[in-house]
Amino acid sequence: MTAALLTLADSRLPAGGHTHSGGVEQAIAAGIVHDPRSLEVFLRRRLTTAGSTAAGLAAAACRAAGRDEPRRASLARLDAEADARTPSPALRQASRQQGRGLVRVGRRAWPTAAWDDLPPHPHHPLALGVAAAAAGLGPADAAQAAAYLSITGSATAAQRLLAMDPITVATVTARLAAEVDAVGAGADQAAAGGPAPTDGEPGPAWLPAGTDPLLDLLAEVHADRDDRYFAS
Amino acid sequence: MRTLVEVVARAGPGGRTVLPVVRASGQLAVRRTGPSTVHLVATAFGPLGGDDAEVRLVVEAGARLAVRTVAAAVVLPARGESPPSVQRVRAEVAGSLDLRAEPTVVTRGAHHHALLHAQLDDDAELTATEQVQLGRVGEEPGRWTGTTRVERAGTPLLHTTVGLGPGAPAWLPPVAPRAYASTVHAGAALARATGEDAVRLPLERGWVATAWGDRLAPTLGRLALLEGAAPVEEAQ
Repeated sequence: MTAALLTLADSRLPAGGHTHSGGVEQAIAAGIVHDPRSLEVFLRRRLTTAGSTAAGLAAAACRAAGRDEPRRASLARLDAEADARTPSPALRQASRQQGRGLVRVGRRAWPTAAWDDLPPHPHHPLALGVAAAAAGLGPADAAQAAAYLSITGSATAAQRLLAMDPITVATVTARLAAEVDAVGAGADQAAAGGPAPTDGEPGPAWLPAGTDPLLDLLAEVHADRDDRYFAS
Repeated sequence: MRTLVEVVARAGPGGRTVLPVVRASGQLAVRRTGPSTVHLVATAFGPLGGDDAEVRLVVEAGARLAVRTVAAAVVLPARGESPPSVQRVRAEVAGSLDLRAEPTVVTRGAHHHALLHAQLDDDAELTATEQVQLGRVGEEPGRWTGTTRVERAGTPLLHTTVGLGPGAPAWLPPVAPRAYASTVHAGAALARATGEDAVRLPLERGWVATAWGDRLAPTLGRLALLEGAAPVEEAQ
Protein backbone atom coordinates (compact mmCIF):
# COMPACT_ATOMS: atom_id res chain seq x y z
CA MET A 1 0.00 0.00 0.00
CA THR A 2 2.69 2.49 0.99
CA ALA A 3 4.94 1.42 -1.88
CA ALA A 4 2.11 2.12 -4.34
CA LEU A 5 1.69 5.63 -2.94
CA LEU A 6 5.45 6.22 -3.14
CA THR A 7 5.43 5.04 -6.77
CA LEU A 8 2.56 7.36 -7.63
CA ALA A 9 4.33 10.38 -6.14
CA ASP A 10 7.78 9.43 -7.46
CA SER A 11 9.26 11.89 -9.93
CA ARG A 12 10.73 8.85 -11.75
CA LEU A 13 7.21 7.81 -12.78
CA PRO A 14 7.36 8.67 -16.51
CA ALA A 15 4.14 10.69 -16.61
CA GLY A 16 5.68 13.80 -18.13
CA GLY A 17 5.54 16.00 -15.04
CA HIS A 18 9.21 16.93 -15.42
CA THR A 19 8.41 19.15 -18.43
CA HIS A 20 6.24 21.42 -16.27
CA SER A 21 7.48 23.96 -13.75
CA GLY A 22 4.13 24.73 -12.12
CA GLY A 23 4.59 28.43 -12.79
CA VAL A 24 8.01 28.70 -11.18
CA GLU A 25 9.81 29.46 -14.45
CA GLN A 26 7.73 32.61 -14.93
CA ALA A 27 7.89 33.44 -11.21
CA ILE A 28 11.68 33.47 -11.55
CA ALA A 29 11.47 35.65 -14.67
CA ALA A 30 9.20 38.06 -12.77
CA GLY A 31 11.65 38.23 -9.86
CA ILE A 32 9.20 36.64 -7.44
CA VAL A 33 11.37 33.54 -6.85
CA HIS A 34 15.11 34.08 -6.48
CA ASP A 35 16.34 32.20 -3.41
CA PRO A 36 15.31 29.36 -1.06
CA ARG A 37 13.15 31.64 1.07
CA SER A 38 11.17 33.03 -1.86
CA LEU A 39 10.88 29.53 -3.31
CA GLU A 40 9.33 28.31 -0.07
CA VAL A 41 6.78 31.13 -0.18
CA PHE A 42 5.94 30.31 -3.80
CA LEU A 43 5.51 26.60 -3.02
CA ARG A 44 3.22 27.44 -0.11
CA ARG A 45 1.07 29.63 -2.41
CA ARG A 46 0.79 26.78 -4.89
CA LEU A 47 0.13 24.14 -2.25
CA THR A 48 -2.72 26.01 -0.59
CA THR A 49 -4.46 27.02 -3.82
CA ALA A 50 -3.83 24.81 -6.88
CA GLY A 51 -2.56 21.98 -4.65
CA SER A 52 -5.64 21.96 -2.45
CA THR A 53 -7.95 22.09 -5.47
CA ALA A 54 -6.09 19.22 -7.16
CA ALA A 55 -6.15 17.19 -3.95
CA GLY A 56 -9.93 17.51 -3.61
CA LEU A 57 -10.50 16.48 -7.21
CA ALA A 58 -8.06 13.55 -6.90
CA ALA A 59 -9.79 12.26 -3.77
CA ALA A 60 -13.21 12.60 -5.40
CA ALA A 61 -11.98 10.85 -8.57
CA CYS A 62 -10.55 8.02 -6.47
CA ARG A 63 -13.96 7.60 -4.80
CA ALA A 64 -15.72 7.66 -8.17
CA ALA A 65 -13.28 5.13 -9.65
CA GLY A 66 -13.93 2.75 -6.77
CA ARG A 67 -17.63 2.56 -7.58
CA ASP A 68 -18.95 0.62 -10.57
CA GLU A 69 -21.85 2.85 -11.56
CA PRO A 70 -22.22 5.59 -12.57
CA ARG A 71 -18.48 5.90 -12.82
CA ARG A 72 -18.28 7.44 -16.28
CA ALA A 73 -20.82 10.15 -15.44
CA SER A 74 -19.15 10.92 -12.09
CA LEU A 75 -15.74 11.29 -13.70
CA ALA A 76 -17.16 13.49 -16.48
CA ARG A 77 -18.77 15.69 -13.86
CA LEU A 78 -15.49 15.97 -11.94
CA ASP A 79 -13.68 16.87 -15.17
CA ALA A 80 -16.15 19.74 -15.63
CA GLU A 81 -15.54 20.80 -12.01
CA ALA A 82 -11.79 20.79 -12.76
CA ASP A 83 -12.35 23.00 -15.82
CA ALA A 84 -14.41 25.45 -13.74
CA ARG A 85 -11.57 25.64 -11.20
CA THR A 86 -8.94 26.13 -13.92
CA PRO A 87 -10.05 29.06 -16.07
CA SER A 88 -6.51 29.75 -17.31
CA PRO A 89 -6.12 28.12 -20.76
CA ALA A 90 -2.40 27.55 -20.13
CA LEU A 91 -3.07 25.80 -16.83
CA ARG A 92 -5.90 23.76 -18.33
CA GLN A 93 -3.58 22.55 -21.06
CA ALA A 94 -0.81 21.77 -18.57
CA SER A 95 -3.22 19.77 -16.42
CA ARG A 96 -4.65 17.83 -19.35
CA GLN A 97 -1.17 17.10 -20.77
CA GLN A 98 -0.06 15.69 -17.44
CA GLY A 99 -3.30 13.78 -17.11
CA ARG A 100 -2.74 12.13 -20.47
CA GLY A 101 0.85 11.29 -19.50
CA LEU A 102 -0.29 9.65 -16.29
CA VAL A 103 -3.04 7.67 -18.06
CA ARG A 104 -0.43 6.32 -20.49
CA VAL A 105 1.76 4.88 -17.73
CA GLY A 106 -1.05 4.14 -15.26
CA ARG A 107 -3.00 1.99 -17.70
CA ARG A 108 0.00 -0.33 -18.04
CA ALA A 109 1.15 -0.20 -14.43
CA TRP A 110 -2.26 -0.64 -12.80
CA PRO A 111 -4.72 -2.08 -15.33
CA THR A 112 -8.37 -1.50 -14.39
CA ALA A 113 -11.66 -0.88 -16.18
CA ALA A 114 -11.92 2.61 -14.64
CA TRP A 115 -9.31 4.00 -17.07
CA ASP A 116 -11.81 3.55 -19.91
CA ASP A 117 -14.36 5.66 -18.08
CA LEU A 118 -12.11 8.74 -17.95
CA PRO A 119 -12.70 11.47 -20.54
CA PRO A 120 -10.17 11.37 -23.46
CA HIS A 121 -7.78 14.02 -22.09
CA PRO A 122 -8.57 14.08 -18.39
CA HIS A 123 -7.31 16.69 -15.95
CA HIS A 124 -4.30 15.43 -14.03
CA PRO A 125 -6.05 15.08 -10.63
CA LEU A 126 -8.66 12.80 -12.20
CA ALA A 127 -6.01 10.53 -13.67
CA LEU A 128 -4.27 10.57 -10.30
CA GLY A 129 -7.46 9.57 -8.50
CA VAL A 130 -8.09 6.66 -10.89
CA ALA A 131 -4.44 5.56 -10.61
CA ALA A 132 -4.69 5.61 -6.82
CA ALA A 133 -7.87 3.49 -6.86
CA ALA A 134 -6.33 1.08 -9.38
CA ALA A 135 -3.23 0.73 -7.22
CA GLY A 136 -5.34 -0.22 -4.21
CA LEU A 137 -5.01 3.16 -2.52
CA GLY A 138 -7.76 5.27 -1.00
CA PRO A 139 -9.03 8.83 -1.50
CA ALA A 140 -6.85 10.16 1.32
CA ASP A 141 -3.77 8.77 -0.46
CA ALA A 142 -4.87 10.31 -3.77
CA ALA A 143 -5.29 13.70 -2.08
CA GLN A 144 -1.91 13.33 -0.41
CA ALA A 145 -0.17 12.52 -3.69
CA ALA A 146 -1.84 15.47 -5.45
CA ALA A 147 -0.84 17.87 -2.69
CA TYR A 148 2.73 16.59 -2.71
CA LEU A 149 3.03 16.70 -6.51
CA SER A 150 1.76 20.28 -6.51
CA ILE A 151 5.07 21.43 -5.03
CA THR A 152 7.71 18.89 -6.03
CA GLY A 153 7.67 19.67 -9.76
CA SER A 154 8.08 23.38 -9.03
CA ALA A 155 10.84 22.73 -6.52
CA THR A 156 12.83 20.63 -8.99
CA ALA A 157 12.32 23.17 -11.76
CA ALA A 158 13.53 26.01 -9.53
CA GLN A 159 16.57 23.99 -8.58
CA ARG A 160 17.48 23.55 -12.22
CA LEU A 161 16.68 27.10 -13.36
CA LEU A 162 18.44 28.85 -10.47
CA ALA A 163 21.21 26.24 -10.12
CA MET A 164 20.28 25.94 -6.45
CA ASP A 165 21.89 23.54 -4.02
CA PRO A 166 19.83 20.30 -4.18
CA ILE A 167 20.14 19.80 -0.43
CA THR A 168 18.71 23.27 0.20
CA VAL A 169 15.78 22.60 -2.14
CA ALA A 170 15.14 19.20 -0.53
CA THR A 171 15.15 20.93 2.84
CA VAL A 172 12.60 23.49 1.68
CA THR A 173 10.32 20.68 0.43
CA ALA A 174 10.77 18.64 3.59
CA ARG A 175 9.90 21.64 5.77
CA LEU A 176 6.53 21.87 4.02
CA ALA A 177 5.65 18.24 4.82
CA ALA A 178 3.21 19.03 7.63
CA GLU A 179 1.43 21.58 5.44
CA VAL A 180 1.22 19.09 2.58
CA ASP A 181 -0.35 16.59 4.99
CA ALA A 182 -2.85 19.17 6.22
CA VAL A 183 -3.86 20.21 2.71
CA GLY A 184 -4.29 16.56 1.66
CA ALA A 185 -6.36 15.72 4.75
CA GLY A 186 -8.56 18.80 4.37
CA ALA A 187 -9.22 18.10 0.70
CA ASP A 188 -9.99 14.44 1.41
CA GLN A 189 -12.50 15.52 4.06
CA ALA A 190 -14.18 17.88 1.59
CA ALA A 191 -14.37 15.10 -1.01
CA ALA A 192 -15.98 12.85 1.61
CA GLY A 193 -18.82 15.33 1.87
CA GLY A 194 -17.71 17.54 4.70
CA PRO A 195 -19.56 20.84 4.91
CA ALA A 196 -18.13 23.70 2.88
CA PRO A 197 -17.10 26.62 5.09
CA THR A 198 -19.61 29.22 3.93
CA ASP A 199 -22.31 26.97 2.67
CA GLY A 200 -24.32 24.11 4.05
CA GLU A 201 -24.28 22.02 0.89
CA PRO A 202 -21.75 19.20 0.73
CA GLY A 203 -20.98 17.30 -2.47
CA PRO A 204 -18.64 17.46 -5.45
CA ALA A 205 -19.80 20.94 -6.42
CA TRP A 206 -18.21 22.28 -3.24
CA LEU A 207 -14.83 20.60 -3.46
CA PRO A 208 -11.95 23.00 -2.67
CA ALA A 209 -11.58 25.71 -5.30
CA GLY A 210 -8.60 27.67 -4.00
CA THR A 211 -7.29 29.99 -6.69
CA ASP A 212 -4.32 32.33 -6.90
CA PRO A 213 -4.84 34.96 -9.61
CA LEU A 214 -1.07 35.54 -9.59
CA LEU A 215 -0.50 31.94 -10.76
CA ASP A 216 -3.08 32.43 -13.53
CA LEU A 217 -1.31 35.59 -14.71
CA LEU A 218 2.15 33.98 -14.57
CA ALA A 219 0.87 30.97 -16.56
CA GLU A 220 -0.63 33.14 -19.29
CA VAL A 221 2.44 35.38 -19.62
CA HIS A 222 4.63 32.27 -19.70
CA ALA A 223 2.58 30.68 -22.47
CA ASP A 224 3.36 33.66 -24.74
CA ARG A 225 7.14 33.29 -24.39
CA ASP A 226 9.12 31.45 -27.05
CA ASP A 227 12.27 31.14 -24.94
CA ARG A 228 10.89 28.95 -22.17
CA TYR A 229 12.44 25.70 -20.93
CA PHE A 230 9.27 24.29 -19.41
CA ALA A 231 5.84 23.66 -20.94
CA SER A 232 4.17 25.52 -18.06
CA MET B 1 -27.98 39.28 12.90
CA ARG B 2 -29.66 37.61 9.91
CA THR B 3 -30.50 39.56 6.81
CA LEU B 4 -32.54 38.32 3.87
CA VAL B 5 -33.19 40.14 0.60
CA GLU B 6 -35.39 38.71 -2.14
CA VAL B 7 -35.98 40.19 -5.56
CA VAL B 8 -37.79 38.59 -8.47
CA ALA B 9 -37.61 40.18 -11.93
CA ARG B 10 -40.19 39.12 -14.51
CA ALA B 11 -40.79 40.09 -18.12
CA GLY B 12 -43.75 42.45 -18.26
CA PRO B 13 -45.80 43.99 -21.05
CA GLY B 14 -43.94 45.77 -23.84
CA GLY B 15 -40.56 44.21 -23.05
CA ARG B 16 -40.38 46.00 -19.68
CA THR B 17 -39.32 44.26 -16.51
CA VAL B 18 -41.62 44.10 -13.52
CA LEU B 19 -40.46 43.25 -10.02
CA PRO B 20 -43.25 41.23 -8.36
CA VAL B 21 -41.08 40.50 -5.30
CA VAL B 22 -38.91 43.16 -3.66
CA ARG B 23 -38.46 42.53 0.03
CA ALA B 24 -35.79 42.70 2.70
CA SER B 25 -35.44 42.01 6.39
CA GLY B 26 -32.56 42.55 8.78
CA GLN B 27 -29.76 45.00 8.02
CA LEU B 28 -30.49 45.71 4.37
CA ALA B 29 -33.38 47.54 2.77
CA VAL B 30 -34.04 47.32 -0.94
CA ARG B 31 -35.26 50.25 -3.06
CA ARG B 32 -36.38 50.19 -6.64
CA THR B 33 -34.39 53.01 -8.26
CA GLY B 34 -35.03 52.40 -11.94
CA PRO B 35 -37.19 50.40 -14.33
CA SER B 36 -35.02 47.32 -13.75
CA THR B 37 -32.63 48.51 -11.05
CA VAL B 38 -32.67 48.04 -7.30
CA HIS B 39 -30.30 49.50 -4.73
CA LEU B 40 -29.50 47.75 -1.47
CA VAL B 41 -29.30 50.17 1.45
CA ALA B 42 -27.57 49.28 4.71
CA THR B 43 -29.78 50.13 7.68
CA ALA B 44 -27.08 49.56 10.31
CA PHE B 45 -23.32 49.79 10.72
CA GLY B 46 -21.43 46.80 9.52
CA PRO B 47 -21.65 44.02 8.62
CA LEU B 48 -20.26 42.93 11.99
CA GLY B 49 -18.50 39.67 12.75
CA GLY B 50 -21.13 36.93 12.96
CA ASP B 51 -23.64 38.70 10.71
CA ASP B 52 -25.20 36.58 8.01
CA ALA B 53 -26.80 38.09 4.93
CA GLU B 54 -28.42 36.29 2.03
CA VAL B 55 -29.52 37.95 -1.20
CA ARG B 56 -31.80 35.79 -3.36
CA LEU B 57 -32.29 37.00 -6.89
CA VAL B 58 -34.49 35.47 -9.56
CA VAL B 59 -34.39 36.91 -13.06
CA GLU B 60 -36.94 35.20 -15.26
CA ALA B 61 -36.64 34.77 -19.04
CA GLY B 62 -36.87 38.09 -20.89
CA ALA B 63 -36.38 40.16 -17.71
CA ARG B 64 -33.42 42.35 -16.74
CA LEU B 65 -32.20 43.24 -13.29
CA ALA B 66 -29.37 45.49 -12.12
CA VAL B 67 -28.40 45.34 -8.45
CA ARG B 68 -26.38 48.13 -6.86
CA THR B 69 -25.58 49.34 -3.37
CA VAL B 70 -25.61 52.96 -2.21
CA ALA B 71 -22.31 52.96 -0.32
CA ALA B 72 -19.26 50.90 0.50
CA ALA B 73 -19.83 48.13 3.07
CA VAL B 74 -17.41 48.54 5.96
CA VAL B 75 -16.96 45.16 7.64
CA LEU B 76 -16.19 45.48 11.36
CA PRO B 77 -15.12 42.77 13.81
CA ALA B 78 -17.40 41.81 16.67
CA ARG B 79 -16.13 42.41 20.21
CA GLY B 80 -13.73 39.77 21.49
CA GLU B 81 -13.12 36.71 19.33
CA SER B 82 -14.88 37.80 16.15
CA PRO B 83 -16.43 35.11 13.93
CA PRO B 84 -16.52 35.85 10.19
CA SER B 85 -19.39 37.73 8.64
CA VAL B 86 -21.01 36.06 5.65
CA GLN B 87 -22.80 37.37 2.60
CA ARG B 88 -24.32 34.93 0.13
CA VAL B 89 -25.77 35.97 -3.18
CA ARG B 90 -27.83 33.23 -4.80
CA ALA B 91 -29.05 34.02 -8.27
CA GLU B 92 -31.23 32.05 -10.65
CA VAL B 93 -31.04 33.74 -14.00
CA ALA B 94 -32.90 33.06 -17.23
CA GLY B 95 -32.84 36.73 -18.31
CA SER B 96 -30.05 39.23 -17.66
CA LEU B 97 -28.50 40.07 -14.29
CA ASP B 98 -25.98 42.84 -13.66
CA LEU B 99 -24.55 42.87 -10.17
CA ARG B 100 -22.17 45.55 -9.02
CA ALA B 101 -21.97 46.44 -5.35
CA GLU B 102 -19.89 49.33 -4.04
CA PRO B 103 -16.59 48.22 -2.49
CA THR B 104 -16.36 45.98 0.55
CA VAL B 105 -13.85 47.43 3.02
CA VAL B 106 -12.66 44.84 5.53
CA THR B 107 -11.28 46.52 8.64
CA ARG B 108 -8.58 45.22 10.93
CA GLY B 109 -9.58 42.06 12.81
CA ALA B 110 -12.63 41.38 10.65
CA HIS B 111 -13.04 38.38 8.32
CA HIS B 112 -15.68 38.54 5.62
CA HIS B 113 -16.91 35.62 3.52
CA ALA B 114 -18.53 36.55 0.21
CA LEU B 115 -20.27 33.89 -1.84
CA LEU B 116 -21.82 34.27 -5.26
CA HIS B 117 -23.67 31.25 -6.59
CA ALA B 118 -25.30 31.93 -9.94
CA GLN B 119 -27.32 29.29 -11.77
CA LEU B 120 -27.88 30.36 -15.36
CA ASP B 121 -30.18 29.07 -18.04
CA ASP B 122 -28.48 28.33 -21.33
CA ASP B 123 -28.99 31.80 -22.83
CA ALA B 124 -28.96 33.86 -19.63
CA GLU B 125 -26.60 36.81 -19.19
CA LEU B 126 -24.62 37.66 -16.11
CA THR B 127 -22.16 40.40 -15.24
CA ALA B 128 -20.99 40.42 -11.62
CA THR B 129 -18.26 42.63 -10.19
CA GLU B 130 -16.64 42.40 -6.78
CA GLN B 131 -14.49 45.18 -5.28
CA VAL B 132 -12.53 44.67 -2.10
CA GLN B 133 -10.23 46.87 -0.03
CA LEU B 134 -8.48 45.42 3.02
CA GLY B 135 -8.29 48.02 5.79
CA ARG B 136 -9.31 51.67 5.81
CA VAL B 137 -6.66 54.34 5.13
CA GLY B 138 -3.70 53.77 7.44
CA GLU B 139 -5.27 50.68 8.98
CA GLU B 140 -4.03 47.09 9.10
CA PRO B 141 -5.82 44.86 6.58
CA GLY B 142 -8.72 42.58 7.49
CA ARG B 143 -9.35 39.25 5.85
CA TRP B 144 -11.64 38.42 2.92
CA THR B 145 -12.57 35.06 1.43
CA GLY B 146 -14.57 35.13 -1.79
CA THR B 147 -16.10 32.17 -3.59
CA THR B 148 -17.69 32.48 -7.00
CA ARG B 149 -19.59 29.63 -8.59
CA VAL B 150 -21.36 30.12 -11.90
CA GLU B 151 -23.24 27.28 -13.56
CA ARG B 152 -24.82 27.34 -16.98
CA ALA B 153 -27.51 24.76 -17.71
CA GLY B 154 -26.25 22.72 -14.77
CA THR B 155 -22.61 22.65 -15.91
CA PRO B 156 -20.05 24.55 -13.82
CA LEU B 157 -18.57 27.45 -15.78
CA LEU B 158 -16.39 28.96 -13.06
CA HIS B 159 -15.69 28.03 -9.47
CA THR B 160 -12.95 29.82 -7.59
CA THR B 161 -12.14 30.76 -4.03
CA VAL B 162 -9.75 33.63 -3.39
CA GLY B 163 -8.42 34.33 0.10
CA LEU B 164 -6.91 37.70 0.99
CA GLY B 165 -5.50 39.19 4.15
CA PRO B 166 -3.52 38.04 7.18
CA GLY B 167 -4.17 34.36 7.85
CA ALA B 168 -5.20 33.54 4.27
CA PRO B 169 -2.74 30.76 3.35
CA ALA B 170 -1.72 32.10 -0.07
CA TRP B 171 -1.66 35.82 0.88
CA LEU B 172 2.10 36.02 1.13
CA PRO B 173 4.57 38.81 0.40
CA PRO B 174 5.86 39.94 -1.99
CA VAL B 175 2.43 39.56 -3.60
CA ALA B 176 -0.07 40.31 -0.82
CA PRO B 177 -2.51 42.81 -2.35
CA ARG B 178 -4.78 45.00 -0.23
CA ALA B 179 -7.08 45.77 -3.14
CA TYR B 180 -8.80 43.24 -5.36
CA ALA B 181 -11.44 43.50 -8.05
CA SER B 182 -12.95 40.88 -10.30
CA THR B 183 -15.70 40.69 -12.90
CA VAL B 184 -17.24 37.54 -14.25
CA HIS B 185 -19.33 37.72 -17.39
CA ALA B 186 -21.48 35.08 -19.02
CA GLY B 187 -23.04 35.94 -22.35
CA ALA B 188 -20.42 37.04 -24.89
CA ALA B 189 -16.91 35.62 -25.21
CA LEU B 190 -13.70 37.62 -24.92
CA ALA B 191 -10.21 36.25 -25.51
CA ARG B 192 -7.62 36.01 -22.79
CA ALA B 193 -5.58 39.12 -22.01
CA THR B 194 -2.85 40.00 -19.56
CA GLY B 195 -1.92 43.31 -17.96
CA GLU B 196 0.07 44.61 -15.04
CA ASP B 197 -1.30 42.71 -12.02
CA ALA B 198 -4.39 41.91 -14.06
CA VAL B 199 -5.54 38.99 -16.15
CA ARG B 200 -8.60 38.12 -18.19
CA LEU B 201 -9.39 34.47 -18.80
CA PRO B 202 -11.86 33.12 -21.33
CA LEU B 203 -14.87 31.05 -20.31
CA GLU B 204 -17.23 29.32 -22.67
CA ARG B 205 -19.36 32.26 -23.93
CA GLY B 206 -17.94 34.47 -21.22
CA TRP B 207 -14.85 35.60 -19.36
CA VAL B 208 -13.48 36.43 -15.93
CA ALA B 209 -11.16 39.39 -15.33
CA THR B 210 -9.22 40.00 -12.13
CA ALA B 211 -6.93 42.80 -10.97
CA TRP B 212 -5.13 43.43 -7.71
CA GLY B 213 -2.89 46.01 -6.10
CA ASP B 214 -2.37 48.23 -3.07
CA ARG B 215 -5.22 50.66 -3.61
CA LEU B 216 -8.63 50.07 -5.08
CA ALA B 217 -8.93 53.01 -7.49
CA PRO B 218 -5.94 52.11 -9.71
CA THR B 219 -6.88 48.42 -9.40
CA LEU B 220 -10.33 49.21 -10.78
CA GLY B 221 -8.69 51.17 -13.57
CA ARG B 222 -6.62 48.17 -14.59
CA LEU B 223 -9.68 45.94 -14.37
CA ALA B 224 -11.63 48.35 -16.58
CA LEU B 225 -8.96 48.01 -19.30
CA LEU B 226 -9.74 44.32 -19.46
CA GLU B 227 -13.48 44.90 -19.41
CA GLY B 228 -13.19 47.29 -22.34
CA ALA B 229 -15.00 45.42 -25.05
CA ALA B 230 -17.48 43.93 -22.64
CA PRO B 231 -21.17 44.65 -22.88
CA VAL B 232 -21.42 46.00 -19.34
CA GLU B 233 -24.89 47.24 -18.54
CA GLU B 234 -25.34 50.74 -17.15
CA ALA B 235 -27.37 51.21 -14.01
CA GLN B 236 -30.58 53.00 -14.86
